[in-house]
This record gives sequence, structure tokens and C-alpha cells, in this order.
Amino acid sequence: MRLYYLAKGSFALLIRVIDRLSHIKPAIIRCAAAWIVRAVIAYTLLTAIIPAPPRPLLDIPHTVETQHPHVCVHTRLIDEVDEWKIQRTLVAVREMGAPTIVEFFPWAYIESNHDQYDWVNADRIVRHARNQGIRIIARMGLVPAWARPQREGEFTTLNTLPPAAYNEFTQFIADFAARYAGVIDHIIIWNEPNLAFEWGYQFVNPAGYVDLLRVVYSAAHAANPNVIVLAAPLAPTLEPPGSPNGLNDLLYLEAIYQAGAANYFDALAVHTYGFEHPADQLPAPDALNFRRAELLRDIMMRYNDADTHVYITETGWNDSPRWSRAVTPSQRIAYTIDALEWAADQNWLETLCLWVFRTPAPTFNYTDYFTLISVDFQRKPIYYAVQNYARGISQVEDLWLPAPNG
Amino acid sequence: MAARTQWLIAFLVITGIIAATTLLITPRPPSLAELFPSGQIRVGVDPSYAPFAFYIGDDIQGLDIDLAWAIGNDLGIPVRLVALGFDGLYDALITDQVDVLISALPIEVSRLDRVIYTNPYFNAGLVLVSPHDSPILSMRDLAGLRLAYEYGSTAHTEVNRWLRRIRPFVSQPYELESYALDAVRLGDADAALVDAISAGLYARDHAEWTIQQAQVTDLLYAAAVRADYPARVTVLNESIKRLFERGELQQIIARWL
Repeated sequence: MRLYYLAKGSFALLIRVIDRLSHIKPAIIRCAAAWIVRAVIAYTLLTAIIPAPPRPLLDIPHTVETQHPHVCVHTRLIDEVDEWKIQRTLVAVREMGAPTIVEFFPWAYIESNHDQYDWVNADRIVRHARNQGIRIIARMGLVPAWARPQREGEFTTLNTLPPAAYNEFTQFIADFAARYAGVIDHIIIWNEPNLAFEWGYQFVNPAGYVDLLRVVYSAAHAANPNVIVLAAPLAPTLEPPGSPNGLNDLLYLEAIYQAGAANYFDALAVHTYGFEHPADQLPAPDALNFRRAELLRDIMMRYNDADTHVYITETGWNDSPRWSRAVTPSQRIAYTIDALEWAADQNWLETLCLWVFRTPAPTFNYTDYFTLISVDFQRKPIYYAVQNYARGISQVEDLWLPAPNG
Repeated sequence: MAARTQWLIAFLVITGIIAATTLLITPRPPSLAELFPSGQIRVGVDPSYAPFAFYIGDDIQGLDIDLAWAIGNDLGIPVRLVALGFDGLYDALITDQVDVLISALPIEVSRLDRVIYTNPYFNAGLVLVSPHDSPILSMRDLAGLRLAYEYGSTAHTEVNRWLRRIRPFVSQPYELESYALDAVRLGDADAALVDAISAGLYARDHAEWTIQQAQVTDLLYAAAVRADYPARVTVLNESIKRLFERGELQQIIARWL
């Protein structure tokens, strides 16, 4: 009925316009009409020559060709606005020869209102990863405002997960696991809980984290029987017990084993960075270097957990000219390839994921120098070095010329 | 009275009222004492980035430090340096622990909701370095010639980009930027693509070698203030402009690069 009145009104308006125009000289009407036609033609032509943004249509399903399936990268796709950039990033990941990515799926993004899920962003990442033949390891975290304590004067952050909200978080994990079962079968529960920052600026609490694992583990398995629940990667740090900043990762891992965590995770995620040291530097409890992962593995074996595999979900070197813990670009490439070769020899290790493949926007600080491709999709030399490694092409020629004499 | 005169008087009266009202409601620019209520300019710096700001003994020195002192002298206000970590610079500014950041900061569009930048005082982008009598004045002049650069660096990525755009040149990667510049100095390469800071430092260390530089990419460094203090930027821009016109800014840059 409303449509009828709208059409009737529009028709009446048209009649009135024509009636008004009839008082104007026909020549003026013809001239105006000619200009309107010209404008329409010009607009059509201009639209035809302006390049349209790339359309993220799904391609035929791909598979990742690689000689080294442990090659993996951590992506940052969830904050990407344009879908075509997600697709282009994942095409570059596939072409590099990495069959696995780690991607963050924040609870606060997906369930920003209680029981109202917005899966759009997650779905498009999953859709394009699947199309490229890439497996996703999902990192879960970030608490929506509604699940955080609302008491006045109480300070909370996106990382504040009160025990009272464990059930809501568990429900979200279960829903996520069920929705993406068969597509995402690896889920990391939280990130670096041994840092106060990552634990809502509270004193870190290994037993509290085990409580979280306990409730999440069974719910995730009920939702997806094939899911592999990964215990959170710990930040490599030497913070002593009682520090307000966090706790040494070795001590924290020991503490969660003592709290009975072994029954509540299927694999351990690990963060290990090389900082300014080469990949083959021997590990030591008082040193932060790449092979610190072996010390974590030692603890697992001490607690009779040798069968549980490890996924290194963040590692890498940085080649910023202004960060004191960085190396030169050539060292970064050499150390990264050394690390990948080392990882291939460790039968307890599933993946070695490089932080970070690409960021949606530049940060203009040293963190830009962790990336493998630039924001505008320029592939850095380290990308090609990893690609060669993944393809099984060993580097026989020198990568650079000898230093000039003089 | 003629109608024309009446109109003229009316026009003058209205114009006068508008002018007076404008003068009354237009806020006068804040004084320096109001802009910097602590009586000094609190300058946040990250003293870990030579030659812009770094420790020599207990003193912080560098290009940014000299620029801060020069601005203080120009405005007649004492400067107090506040040493901060790079990650904490913007937080210190936002929480009003410092009045301005002068710390080799690239202009970041994403921060413009909370920060205003001054006009840039240094361009740290990539430069093409060649001997002073070389015909190489841009990347397009490289066809068929030899270009040295640091393997894996930002320059390397830029070289790959240019190789797809122009007639080919001979690409010569070296392990370090200094080796790439050595190659040009010793005649093993025709030009080097390095960042402006490395080029400047190398030229300082090899004063006997005269070079020319052509800017290839831009990375503009500027001072930053809180977005809710736009008058501070105006004052700082005017000061930087005066320093430039007097040649002091160029002298400061030449002292360190």
C-alpha cells in the first residue's frame, strides 16, 4: 500500500515538473537535455577507466606446495578492513610455502554483546585460508566489556578475565570450536599469561590459568572431538617470582604442571625469540635466545609429558636499525633459515611460526621490521629466503658480494 | 540626506560592529607562559638513537637535543630533557609528562587524532649516493650501471621495486650498508642506495670523499605535541622556520650528519 502511494506521489511530481517546463523555451530544454546526456556519457566512461578495487572472489581451491610443512607464519588478518587484502596476504603465504598460519580471533570482537555473535570477520579469514589450502591455528583471547568486572573504581583491561567469566569464555570457545570444526582444529587458550599485562595487569597466577584450561578443555573437545587444545605460549622473560611485571617462563611452566595442567592441554604453544643472538646459540636458564624452547621441552619431559608436542607459534629476529635487540637484515635471514633447519630436526616440534607475516598498517617503530612483506605487499628478501627453504632449494651461491677491499 | 549616503553610513556602521565583535570574540593567542606553564619546555626524547639522541657519559647529546636547545633559545624558554623509552614517548606526551617530543619521530597519520606534528625538520628516507661528478641524479639514470645496497634491507626491497620499473641496472648486494658505500667510494659500484642517516654518517667519516645525494623515498621526522594544544605547534613551527632562515637548522644537521 505504501509503495502504491509512493508511486502515485512520484508520478504527480513528474507531471508538475513537465507542466512547469512547458513554460520554458523548448531550445533551453533541448540544451539542458543535451548536457545531461553528455554528463551521463562522461560519467559512464570515467567509471569504466577508473580501476575497480580487487574483488575478493574465491579462486579454485589451492594446496600449499612445500618441502617443509613445519614452516608457518603468524598473520594479522583480523584487523584488516579490506577483504581483498586478506586474500592477497594468504596468497602470498601459500606462495611462500607455509601451510599453516596462526591468527588471532578475539572474543571481544566476535561477541561484543552477550550472546550476540558476529562471525563475519572470522568467516572471511577462514573462507580465504581454506581456499588457499592453509591450516589455521586460532589464538583466543581479549575479553569483551560485558564479561569484565563492572565495579566502580575497579581497573580492567581487555585482558582481564575474572574467574566468574570463565564459563562465558568457555561457551565462546565451544561455539568457536563447533563452528569451525574440520577447518580450525587447533585452538590456543590465551596468550602469554606469565606477563602481568596479558593477565589484566594483575599478579600472574599459574593455578588460575590451569583453572581456565580445565573448564575450556572439556568444552572444546565436546564441541569438536578432533580439536587440539594448545596451552598458552609464555613470553620469554627472566622476571623473578614476585615481580609485578610477570614471571620467568620456565618457572611458570613448572608451576602449571604442578597445578595439574598436563591433563588439560593436548599440545604446548611456545614463543621464543632470537633477539640479538644466532639461532644456534646454546640455551641457558638466564639467557633469552631462540633455543630457550629446548628448556621448556626439558620441563615437559621432567613431568612425563614427552608425548605432548610443541608448536612454536611466535619466533623470529628483527632488523630494525633503531632497536637495541635487533640484528642486521643479512643476519636476520641467516638466523631465520638456521632456525627453520633446526626445527626440522626436532621430532617433538610441529610448527615454527614466524612473527609476523604482514601488518595491516605501519607502526613506524621497530615492530615493522619483524614483517616478511610490507603493508603495500612488497615481498622482502627474507620472504624469498623462506620461500626457497620451503621449496627445498638450498642456497649455493653467496647472497651478497664480499666487502670491497680498500 | 541622499539615499546613497545613508546606505554608506549604514554599511560603515555594520562593518564597524562586525569588526569590533570579531576583535572581542576572537581569542588572543596564548602567551608562551600559558603554552608552557611549567616555565620550561619539557622535551621527551629517546636517548638510544644516535646521532639524534644518545648518551655520552651522563649527558644526552645529538641532533634532536641541539634542535631542542635551539628552539628553547629562540623562544627564550629553558628546556628540560626527559629521557624516555621509545615505546613510552607518545604515552608520556598524552599523559602530559612532557610538552613536546623531539625524538626522530616519523609522521604517523594514524596518530593524528591525538597528536599534531610540526613541519618536518629532517628527511630520513632512502637516498642515492654517488660521487659528486657522477651523472646519476635519480634512479632512472642507473640503466646499465651498478647499484650497491645492503642485502635484506629496506633499500633492497626498493631496488626490487625499481628493477620492475626501469631499464635494468646491475644489482650489487652487500652484507652491510657501509660496504655498499665503500663499493661506491672505491669504484666497485656507480651508486649506493642507503638511508639518509647512514649516508650522512658515512660522509662524515670519509670527509675526503665528496658525494652527491638524491632523495628516493621520504621518511619525515617532526616534533609532536598533543592535539589539544595546537598553539604549541604554531609556536614551534615559527621557531623552526626562524632557525631554518637563520641557517641554524642546517648547521645542527651538518654537525651530526
